[in-house]
Amino acid sequence: MKTSQFLDPKVLARIDNLELLARTVVDGFINGLHHSPYFGLSVDFAEHRQYMPGDDIRRVDWRVFGRTDRFYVKEYEADTNANFCVLFDVSKSMDYGSKEITKLDYGRYLAACLSYFSRTQRDRVGILTFDSAVKDYVPSSAKHLDIVLHTIDNLEASNPGTIAGPINDIAEILTRRSILVLISDLYEDPDVVVDSLNLLRHKGNDVIVFHVLDPAEIEFPFSDAAHFQDLESGESIPVVPDTLRDQYLALMNEHMNTLEHRLVTSRIDYCRFDTSSPLDFALFEYLARRHRLARVR
Amino acid sequence: MSLLAPLFLAGLAALVVPILIHLTQRTKKEPVPFPSLMFLRRVPFKTTRRQKIRNWLLFLLRSAAIVILVMAFARPWMRNSLVGTATLDRAREVVVLLDRSYSMAHGERWDRAVEAARDVAAGLGPDDRASLVLFSDRAEIAYQPLDDPAGLMSAINRARRGAGTTRFAPALQLAEQILEESEYARREAILISDFQRAGWSAEEEALLPEGARLVPVDVGDRETANRAVTEVAIDRGQSGSRERVSVLARIANFGTEVANDLEVSLDLDGQRIDSRTVDVEAGGTTVVRFQPFTPPQREALGTVGISEDELPMDDAFRFLLSPGQTLSALILEHPNAPVGESLYLERALGIGSDPVHTVSRRSSTRLDPSHLQGRDVVVVNDAPLPRGTAGRLLREFVLGGGGLLVTLGQRSTANSWPTEFTDLLRGTVGTVVDRLDDRGTTLSVTDFDHPLLELFRTPRSGDFSRARFFRYRRLNQTGDSEWDVLARFDDGEIALAEARVGEGRVVVLTSGLTNSWNDFPVQPVFLPFLHQLTKHLAGYAPGRTWFAAGEVVDLDVFPDMESSGVRSGVVASSGDYRELVVESPSGTRSVRNTGEDSRYLTLEEQGVYRVRLLDDEAGPSEIVAVNVSSAESDLATIDPEELASAVTVSGSSSGSTSFSATLTPEERERRQGLWWYLLVAALLVLVAETVLSNRIQHAAR
Repeated sequence: MKTSQFLDPKVLARIDNLELLARTVVDGFINGLHHSPYFGLSVDFAEHRQYMPGDDIRRVDWRVFGRTDRFYVKEYEADTNANFCVLFDVSKSMDYGSKEITKLDYGRYLAACLSYFSRTQRDRVGILTFDSAVKDYVPSSAKHLDIVLHTIDNLEASNPGTIAGPINDIAEILTRRSILVLISDLYEDPDVVVDSLNLLRHKGNDVIVFHVLDPAEIEFPFSDAAHFQDLESGESIPVVPDTLRDQYLALMNEHMNTLEHRLVTSRIDYCRFDTSSPLDFALFEYLARRHRLARVR
Repeated sequence: MSLLAPLFLAGLAALVVPILIHLTQRTKKEPVPFPSLMFLRRVPFKTTRRQKIRNWLLFLLRSAAIVILVMAFARPWMRNSLVGTATLDRAREVVVLLDRSYSMAHGERWDRAVEAARDVAAGLGPDDRASLVLFSDRAEIAYQPLDDPAGLMSAINRARRGAGTTRFAPALQLAEQILEESEYARREAILISDFQRAGWSAEEEALLPEGARLVPVDVGDRETANRAVTEVAIDRGQSGSRERVSVLARIANFGTEVANDLEVSLDLDGQRIDSRTVDVEAGGTTVVRFQPFTPPQREALGTVGISEDELPMDDAFRFLLSPGQTLSALILEHPNAPVGESLYLERALGIGSDPVHTVSRRSSTRLDPSHLQGRDVVVVNDAPLPRGTAGRLLREFVLGGGGLLVTLGQRSTANSWPTEFTDLLRGTVGTVVDRLDDRGTTLSVTDFDHPLLELFRTPRSGDFSRARFFRYRRLNQTGDSEWDVLARFDDGEIALAEARVGEGRVVVLTSGLTNSWNDFPVQPVFLPFLHQLTKHLAGYAPGRTWFAAGEVVDLDVFPDMESSGVRSGVVASSGDYRELVVESPSGTRSVRNTGEDSRYLTLEEQGVYRVRLLDDEAGPSEIVAVNVSSAESDLATIDPEELASAVTVSGSSSGSTSFSATLTPEERERRQGLWWYLLVAALLVLVAETVLSNRIQHAAR
C-alpha cells in the first residue's frame, strides 16, 4: 500500500482515535523519510569550533583535545527543545466540507499529526483555539501531548470568527518564543491577517500558516442557482454560480495570492491545502519549514 | 421544400420553452451553506435577463427536437424530390375509349378499331395501367383500371359493337373521372372512333384533367356516302268499311353523289307488299309512299328496305303494323232535341282515321245496357242525365273507366243532374249567363299543362280566344271534391272542368255545342279540341310502332299480354306480376319479372324483340321493332384534333407532362413521407437529450 493512499484524509476520517491517527500518519511518514534528505535534523552533530573564552567547559570535546592537544567545542544542529503551539481557528466557517471531511476535521488531523510529530522531536507542544476570541489554551509542555490531542478531539466550530482580536490576545498570552502553526481558512482581509501575524512574528515567534480550504471554495463547482448562506453570519444571498464563478475565482485567487505574497514578504511561511490533499503533504511542508529554520539558526 | 400544413409552424413558438429553461437558473429551495460570502458579496448580482444560455448542447438538442417535431407535423414535401416518383413518372394511366356505335359497322371500321385497341394494349409498359371504356350514346367501363394488360386484351376481344349512336361526351366524362383519380404522371385517353360529327356538340361538357392528353385514333375513312331509311309513317284511311293503310318512308342520301334508281321495298311479315324506285339527291331526302293496302287484323312486322350499302344497319326500317284502333262514342240528346242538335258533334267526330270514331245517338231517356257495350265515351249533349237503371249503368260505366262529356245548354236545368250523380258531377246546374249584350265573351285556358290542352300550348296550335260565347250556364260546385277547372270565361265562371271518378273521367262544358249559344263549333280549334277531348276521355294511347335502339321499355306496362286494343297500355294491376321471356334480335333469351327491376328492358340491339309469357310457350308473343337512330347515318366527320383540343386543357394535349404538374401536393407529401423520417430523427435527438441531461445532472451531484 502506498503511503499517500494510506494518508488520504478520507481514509483517516475512519479512525476515531486521534493519537492513533497521528501516530499512523507520523510513523508512516518517518518510515518514508529514510530516503529523505532531511533525515536527522535536530540532534545531529554539526561541527567543531575552537574553544573561545566563555564557552561552557562541558561542551569541550576531550577526545579531540587528546589527539590534537587543542580545545574544540562540539556544536549540534537544531538541538532546540522548542515550544510548538498550534493556533487553531475554530470559527464556524471551518465547519464546512463539500466532501467527506470538513476543514475542521482536516485541521484536526493536521494539528494532531504536527503535535505528535513535534513531540517526537522533543518539542514542547501546546494548542490554542480561537474564533472571535481565544477559547482553549493548552500551554506548550513536554507532557501536554495527551491534553493537546484531547483538546483537538473535542474541537467544535460554532461561532463566527476573526483574526485580529484573538491574535492580539495570543500575543499577550505567549510569553516564550515558539513555533506557531496557524490553521485557518483565513477569511479575513490579508492586511489584517498579515498585521496580526506580524505581531507574533515580531515577538520572536516562528509562524507557519496552514491555509486550509475546501475544494469547493477553490473551484466553485456549483451550477444551480440558489441562495448561498454564510455559515458564520447566517446571511444568505441569491447566487447564480454560472455567472459568478469567474469573478469569484478571480477574487479568491487574488486573495490567496495576496496572502501568500504578503506573508512570505513578512517572512511568515504560508502553505495552502485543500481538504482533499494527503496529510503527508502538510508534514512535508512543515518539515521543510523546520529545516530551513534550523539552517538559518 | 414546401409544407402541406404550414399552420403547424406556429408550434415553433414552443422554442421559447427551452430558451427560458436554459436562460433561467432554477433556484434551489434549500439554501446552500458556504463558509463565507466574503467574495460572493463583492460580485454584482445579475438578473436572468443578462444571463447567457447555459448547457448549449442540451439546449440545442431540445430546440432541435421541437423544430423537428414541428416540421414533421407541418408535413413537408420536396418539390424536386424524386422519392417515390420514379416509377410513377415513367408509368402511364391509359384510358382506351372504344367507339361501339353502329356506324362502326361501316366497312372494316370495327375491325380497325379493335386492332388499334389491341395495339394500345400491346404497347403498354410494365408499369402502365389501362382501362377500357366502350361507348356509343352511353359509356361503360368494360375493364377496370387494374395492372393487368392481359385482362385488357381479353376485354377488347369481348367487345362487340352495338346499335347506339355516337356521343363522345359520356365517354370523355368517364375518362375524365378515371384520369382525375389517377396518381400517375402520364395520363392519356386514347379515343378510337370514326369521329362522326353528329357525336360531338360544342355544348357538351367534357374536359380532361390538366396534364392529361387525348390521343385520337381515327379508324374511319374518307368515304361518307350512306343511304338510309330514316323514318316510316303509317297513313290510315277508310275505304268504305275497310281500313286502308298507306306506308310512307323517308329515304336519305348522306353521300355527295345522287343516288339513282334506288329501290325501296315494303315487306309485311316477310311478304313483299310494294317496291318503288326513286332518285335521291346528294345530301337530300325523299319520301316514298307505298301503295295503300288493307292491313291484316293482327299485328304484323313491316319492313321498309333499300339496297344495302357499306352501312347496312340503317338500310332497313322495321315497324309494327297493328290493326287500326276505333273510338266508340255515344251521344245522348234531349228527348225534345231537334234534328241536327248534335250535327257539329257528329261531323267532327266522323272526321279522322287515327283513331277512327264510331258515333251513335240516343235519347237520354232511352238508354239501355246494350247501348253502353263497347263504348269509350258518352256525350250528354244538353240533355238530362238518365235516371234509374240507365243512370246506374252510366255511373258504373264511368267508374269502370269510361269517359263522360256533359255539355250544358238551354235544355239543361237544375233537375238535369239527378242526385245519384252527385259524386260524379260534384255540383248543380246553375242559371244561364247571357252575354249577348257584351257581344259574347271568350274563354281562357287556365291549365295548358293538362293533357287535354297541352296540344294547344304553343302559339298557332289552336286559338280558343276566337270563339265567342254568348250564353253559358253557371256550374255550382258542391261537396268536398271540386272540379279541376281547365278554362274559365272572362267573368270567372267555369267554362271547362274535369273530374276523375273511379277509373273514368268526366268533363263538363258549360256552353252547348249546338252553335246557338256560341260559335265554338265553327272555329278551327274545335275539331282538334274535340278529338283530343274524346281521346282523353277514352284514355286512348296509340301504340308505339317502333323504338329506337337504346330506349328503355317498362315490361310491366308494355306489352300487355292479356289484351290488345285501345287500352293495351293499361298497367296490369299491382301484385299481378308476370314472368316474361324476352328474346333479343341476336337470339339471346332472358327471363324477366314485371315485379322486379328486370322489368326495364334496354333495347340494345337493332331488330325485333319478342316477348311472351314464360309459362305459355305456344302462346302469342308481342313484337318490339327496334331501329337505329338516323342521326348515326350521317357519316360526316369531325377533325379529331379539333375534338382533342376541345376536351383538353390548353398546352397539355401533346407530350407527357411532368409529375409535379399532375400530382397534388397531398399525393407528393404522402409518397415522400418525410414526416416519418423527421419523427425518427426527433426520437433520436430526444434520446440523446435524455442521455446528456442525465450526465449533466449526475455530474452536478
